[in-house]
Amino acid sequence: MTFHLRKTLGVCLAAVILTASSASPLFAQEADEPAFLTNRINALVLIVVFCAAVLYFTYEARKGKRLFLRKIAGLDAVEEAVGRATEMGRPVLYIPGILDLDEMDTIAGVSILGRVTKIIAEYETPLIVPARYPTVLAACQEICEQSYVEAGKPDGFNKDSVRYLAGEQFAFTAAVNGIMMRERPATNIFLGGFFAESLLLAETGNAAGSIQIAGTSQPEQLPFFIAACDYTLMGEELYAASAYLSHEPLMTGGLKGQDLLKVAFIAVIVIGVVLSLLDHWDVIDFFDIYSAWFQEA
Amino acid sequence: MRRTAPVITAFVTGVVVTISFFFNEQTTFIGQIQSGILIWVTIIFGMSLALGMVSITRVNFNKVKRRQEGWPYSLLVIISVFVMAIPSALPVSWSPLFGRNEGSIYYWLWTRISEPMMATMFAMLAFYIASAAYRAFRARSTESTLLLLTAVVVMLSRIPMGEWFLRLFHPSLPDWINIYIMNGFNLSVQRGIIIGAALGAASMSLRIILGIERTYMGKG
Amino acid sequence: MTVWERIAAMDRRWIYLMCGIAVLVPFIIPVSLPVYTTPEVQQLYDAVNSLPDSSIVMLTYDYYPSTVAETEPMSRAALHHLFSKNCKVVTLSNIPLGGPTIAERVTRELAAEYGKVYGVDYVNLGYKANYVAVMKGLGTAISGIFPTDNTGTPLTQLPLMQSVRNYEDIAFIFVVADNATADYWVSIVNAQYGVPMCCGATAVMAPKLYAFVGSGQLQGLLGGMKGAAEYEQLLGRKDRAVRGMDAQSLIHLLIIVLVAIGNLGYFMGRRAKRGERA
Repeated sequence: MTFHLRKTLGVCLAAVILTASSASPLFAQEADEPAFLTNRINALVLIVVFCAAVLYFTYEARKGKRLFLRKIAGLDAVEEAVGRATEMGRPVLYIPGILDLDEMDTIAGVSILGRVTKIIAEYETPLIVPARYPTVLAACQEICEQSYVEAGKPDGFNKDSVRYLAGEQFAFTAAVNGIMMRERPATNIFLGGFFAESLLLAETGNAAGSIQIAGTSQPEQLPFFIAACDYTLMGEELYAASAYLSHEPLMTGGLKGQDLLKVAFIAVIVIGVVLSLLDHWDVIDFFDIYSAWFQEA
Repeated sequence: MRRTAPVITAFVTGVVVTISFFFNEQTTFIGQIQSGILIWVTIIFGMSLALGMVSITRVNFNKVKRRQEGWPYSLLVIISVFVMAIPSALPVSWSPLFGRNEGSIYYWLWTRISEPMMATMFAMLAFYIASAAYRAFRARSTESTLLLLTAVVVMLSRIPMGEWFLRLFHPSLPDWINIYIMNGFNLSVQRGIIIGAALGAASMSLRIILGIERTYMGKG
Repeated sequence: MTVWERIAAMDRRWIYLMCGIAVLVPFIIPVSLPVYTTPEVQQLYDAVNSLPDSSIVMLTYDYYPSTVAETEPMSRAALHHLFSKNCKVVTLSNIPLGGPTIAERVTRELAAEYGKVYGVDYVNLGYKANYVAVMKGLGTAISGIFPTDNTGTPLTQLPLMQSVRNYEDIAFIFVVADNATADYWVSIVNAQYGVPMCCGATAVMAPKLYAFVGSGQLQGLLGGMKGAAEYEQLLGRKDRAVRGMDAQSLIHLLIIVLVAIGNLGYFMGRRAKRGERA
């Protein structure tokens, strides 16, 4: 299935029109209640702007325009870390977080797993992928198998290398720590959603002498990873990783669109600060109207 | 078809759920779709537990069968899984030992073994934080010195003894730490990371909905 | 290897031993220093205090047994505060393992202390899977998500639940959590349904939640055991959190001393190396 921009734009436009058609009897069950939530128009505007930005840059990328991506040291170190494991004859441990497959962090983690497994397959390095949820287990097995096939090493994949450990957070952590101490992986990669177990895992890996690459969007866990790991991906770097590793223009287009919106957010914040100060100094009285638009009723 | 069907499913559900967000959940059919899909997610999650049972049994059973290193632990895992799962799934009407109420096998194992072990694992964080802090907080550069000093003043401000000590320098020092560090630098950095991560997640969601990102399905 | 280098590379097991001693000593020799109140806790206390008597408040037990040392004192203090104001309390948990059990135990114990009647003054809804679906579903109809309470009694048979249809009938939500559900309560329930709320969270989570206090989405925050201790003190009931502050104080001081020793070892070791080279 290839990406058709015009068709996609058409569908998105249809979706917007559909959403905006608040009076449509097709959707209303009770005529006296408002069907369309007007207090969420700000979110609708944001979604439309965001989709337009992402689609525009994706279109530009498809036309062949080269988009600059800054370096992410942690991702550049993946190949080196796998190479080290190969030299030492020890496995690579990859944990795609402790959240279920319906969480974006996990999807990011398993997406990167596909890229990393391809490198692992080429180097013929043993791989261990512990999963906390059965759905993640199934996805990881599928991804790893596919990556081995794409690397031309379909027989290299061992189904038991991707294994379910435990559904309880600390039981899972204890089991992973056991693997670290018994099997002594040369490289530990933690990419996904992590919580209280982040330091328990990273510190055990540090004690086992492994090279460690971590990344999570959970801000409260970043200090622990920074303290105990060699490389740490912060926040959105985790979501950018898949596009970064793929070098595909289509994927990097999305990142550019995201950056554009970030610039818009910065502008909104700066304008807000200025208006707030002017409001504070009784110069103009516009800040309340401005900030109210960004809050849902 | 094996690849196309999931992409179409992701696209349709993604668009429908996004649209339903803007409609009244209580009065419109489209507004209720989101809740319906979320309930389906719960059902799928419940059904997928069988996959986990199969995986954990197969991996550990093979270890026991081949007498691999550490096989007694694998045997213990298999026993634990079934001793916890089977009695808890049986109806209480058969025996008070079944189900998950007080007095059942599951409840006893949960309160006597699982809970203390969970608490122990979490409590270990204190030890790990101490050893990580000992290694990480070294004044190797300007940045690490700032990190170290911030950590020390925040740690002091979060304990009565430290607050008392800080007030010796200035009566408002702990309040300034709260205002400038926790509600100043910390708050702004947290917001920056949260906004960035939210945008990253939204961008990735869009890539998934549009079928650009398919690596999560094993398509690299 | 010089003595300084040895200090800088101290075996982590010595650190573990010192931590163990630092935690144990205060339980044998309590110090009980006064706890100062931070603005976030004062804000939370004021928000709960300003609720009209007999308001209906939702209290969540979104935490695992592993964090009860930090979170349970928050729940207990919240119940003391709410029951003393004659508020009606609806509890629930989004945590399958331990959450409903803790909710049942803690709520019943404190309700008995205040002579509150189950079904009239408080109700425990228990647990339902998929917290996003639960939080959104409660906005439509509580009975749609929880047809029965934690013990299997239909909500129709509980007098309190006759007047609680959905979030519109809830005056305030007191979230106590040790995980990401706290973010979801804010981003789903507060942002989309406009229910005022406050939060008690583990110390690790607190820095992130300051952002929501700043934006006004949370009307106060209890950060870890320190936050719980401040709240207990404001309520005039020095309980578990205040007692636990001694151990926390000592371990914080130990870490500060260790960091200082580590840096001393690091710099002296470097100086000794430079001396060797010269």
